[in-house]
Amino acid sequence: MSRGASDEELIALVVAARDGAAFGELVRRHQGVVRGMMARMCGNHALADDLAQEAFIKAFNKINSYTGSGSFRGWLCRIAYNEFLMSARKRKATEKAMERFRQDIDDVEAPRDMGSVVDLDRGLKILKEDERVCVVLCYASGMSHAEAAEATGMPLGTVKSHVNRGREKLKAWFEAEEAMAS
Amino acid sequence: MTMNDPFDDRLRAAFAAAEPGRDDAIDTEEFVKRVQGRITRPDRRRALILGGAGSTGSAVAGTQLEGFFSNPDLLPADGMIGQVFTYASPEMLAAGVLAIMIAGFAIVIPRQI
Repeated sequence: MSRGASDEELIALVVAARDGAAFGELVRRHQGVVRGMMARMCGNHALADDLAQEAFIKAFNKINSYTGSGSFRGWLCRIAYNEFLMSARKRKATEKAMERFRQDIDDVEAPRDMGSVVDLDRGLKILKEDERVCVVLCYASGMSHAEAAEATGMPLGTVKSHVNRGREKLKAWFEAEEAMAS
Repeated sequence: MTMNDPFDDRLRAAFAAAEPGRDDAIDTEEFVKRVQGRITRPDRRRALILGGAGSTGSAVAGTQLEGFFSNPDLLPADGMIGQVFTYASPEMLAAGVLAIMIAGFAIVIPRQI
């Protein structure tokens, strides 16, 4: 029955009866977006899946706070994004320690063949955190600016600015890299 | 979504090509099962805690039942219920009430777990 129901009907079932099967169907429908978004932001599927799982559990526990004013996907992505931020903060100390080591390796081993393989990760590193998140949400997860705004909690205009600025930086970076390679 | 020039398409293609490997990723149904497993577990724990508390309360109440059924002042002397108290001993009545309580838990708890 739940497979044919709309998101709103499933949410109503979860709110009214804590229906695990209905929530399972919501997870089935939206896991691709949430896991994909997390994977691109974390760069690691195992960690992304753990964070996505936490996000869905949180969504289940606070589903009463979903007002229906925006899309369920946007609401879910916002929880997932907050989960990512919390995890990133926890990992920040370790990351800092690893950063210098990783940069050394990148300088030696990073591929320079820009004609065939685009080293997107290196390009994304030149963006500020917010720019990177907005670019990833819009270009990698296929979200609209409005959905990205809903997911991150940033104003729509800010998201647009971050996307445009990030896009311009990446464009300039790719051009410079290609010029160096040729 | 965004401006649509060749660079936008190129950027999308780059993201698609740079998607992290899915070797360590689990499939959709497995993921759904894991989430469902985690959302039902607190309910199970709750049912077990409530069931345990209820059973303890019933056991304590059960120890008082025999005294209650032995006191003629508290029991009705007339009608059908009065007849039951005439024919059954207090021990038998207490055991009967306890049996009903246990049957109730046996029916309700498995549905909650």
